Amino acid sequence: MPFISNINFTEGTLVKRSLETFFGIGPKVSQSIMARFHIQPWAKVGSLKASTLLDLTAELSNMKIENDLRREIQDSIIRLKDMGSYRGRRHAMGLPVRGQRTRTQIATARKLNRTLRGGDGRLGM
Amino acid sequence: MPPPTCLRSFSQLSLDSAARASMASRARAHAQMACFSTSAARYANPVSKKKGMAQTKKGNKTLNVKKGRNTVQDTGKRPAQGERKAARKRIVLTNDNALEVATLKDMTKADVLSEANQGRVLGIPEATVDALRAVEAFKTTQGWSLFRRPATLMRKETIELAKVMKAAEDDKKTLRRVLSGERLSGKSTLLLQGLSMAFVRQWIVINLPEAQDIINAHTEYAPLPDSQPTQYTQETYTASLLSQILKANNTAENPMLEKIKVTTSPALPLALPADATLKQLIELGIVNPEASWPVFVALWQELTQPGRPPIMLAVDGTAHMMKESDYLNAEVKPIHSFDLTIIRHFIDHLSGAKSLPNGGVILAATSQSNAPSTPALDFSVQVAEARQVDPSKTPRWNPYKNIDPRVMEALKDLHSPTAKEQLKPLDVIKVGGLSKDEARSIMEYYAESGMLRAKIDDGFVTEKWSLAGMGNIGELERASVRLRI
Repeated sequence: MPFISNINFTEGTLVKRSLETFFGIGPKVSQSIMARFHIQPWAKVGSLKASTLLDLTAELSNMKIENDLRREIQDSIIRLKDMGSYRGRRHAMGLPVRGQRTRTQIATARKLNRTLRGGDGRLGM
Repeated sequence: MPPPTCLRSFSQLSLDSAARASMASRARAHAQMACFSTSAARYANPVSKKKGMAQTKKGNKTLNVKKGRNTVQDTGKRPAQGERKAARKRIVLTNDNALEVATLKDMTKADVLSEANQGRVLGIPEATVDALRAVEAFKTTQGWSLFRRPATLMRKETIELAKVMKAAEDDKKTLRRVLSGERLSGKSTLLLQGLSMAFVRQWIVINLPEAQDIINAHTEYAPLPDSQPTQYTQETYTASLLSQILKANNTAENPMLEKIKVTTSPALPLALPADATLKQLIELGIVNPEASWPVFVALWQELTQPGRPPIMLAVDGTAHMMKESDYLNAEVKPIHSFDLTIIRHFIDHLSGAKSLPNGGVILAATSQSNAPSTPALDFSVQVAEARQVDPSKTPRWNPYKNIDPRVMEALKDLHSPTAKEQLKPLDVIKVGGLSKDEARSIMEYYAESGMLRAKIDDGFVTEKWSLAGMGNIGELERASVRLRI
């Protein structure tokens, strides 16, 4: 079973898909990582050489992903809150931050806008 | 309770008795139900359910609109891995129900390239069929499964190609041909005929079965070290190409690759045994895909040594290689197909940048069913076709179309003015409709195979020829063999 950044993937998983399980890696970033290491878009994890897997792990260890990225987001929200800014307050109250109306349609804001945004830890595949 | 019941019963009885004396007993029972007390009904034994009722209820089908309930349990067996693809790609070359055609002759080494064959249907020898199968020359869409064994019509274009091959063989020339024509006009079949003629003449045949498979980014790629600008190798694809080359060119009756010894000293990443044959060289590349490209280069170098047989290099679906591939380089920009080593190798020979010292033919078949838009290729083909008709009237380039300068550069020989010589080095073979004689010949073959039950006379041939859009052979096959009304 191949490991990327200490996470175990089944051999049949697409490399693209396995990279995108990491918080902070989406379609664009995964495409650029794969292009850098010359991995074709439909490659599966099982077909990668051991050296390529190590390269990918090294690449991911240099990137701000997963908990580091979550912490950065949380830190910037806490900074807003500590300054006592309007945006910080709105985050703390779980309300829209950028001047949207609050009469209806604020479910997303209620779900996401909180000081500890993004939860904690890897949610799994 | 009895007093009121009895009283009422009697009074009822007295009323009814006159009218319905015969039904007195029934009336009494009825009167009991009509009285005010409910005790009798309450204390009565529960009525046993009728057997029939429950069963009818059970069998009734009711509309189930609830979500999330599996109404149908799928118990069918799932196809095994790869089974569906195998079924999709299966090539059937015989039909036991078709009749054997007694008059059918095979292609022979002596006369396969002769012009006397024009208009005849010739069978493909068994060994050649195996070799063609190995290089994936047969397509699933072609009608091989309708007849007893593979045979093809030597049409005008085939004879034209045979002449080209003869010239290449005799004068050790490198002649390049692009096959163009309408949909179903027989371009891929003409390519197959070219390959089979090459096999029969014991050439070395290298066929890229489908250009799309090379550029659609489904196989591994890696930059070629020390190449400027960077080229990209495809080790898995090259290894499978090598195994196709070995299987097709090293048959039991013509083990040509086993006989030829490696004479140059190729720079390979892996050690080659001393006094190795070409077969051993190729096997090295098949077993070690990471060495497949150096092995291919070494093989090509060996094949172009003096005294080796002519080479047939062919590709189908050319349009796919005349554009950018689906691979990305390290800067996340698409890689042009010409920067993939296999395609570059082909294009170098098609454009005339490299030639074959022992002679040979480069064939590039276009497709009308599966082709991306490639204005440069389309225009070049149009110019060459127009020039064959009237050299003074060639189409103008539409400036609003995007030109791919690399493709235009590779195909510039198609734009060059017609030389006076008989055979241009790069030209287009336009695969048009059959003549009526050719149509008659192939329809007689259909009839002798028992697949066309009709009397083949001039009227019938003309009818089908017209229905097929002036002798388009694919449509002719559809109209006469496949279509049963």
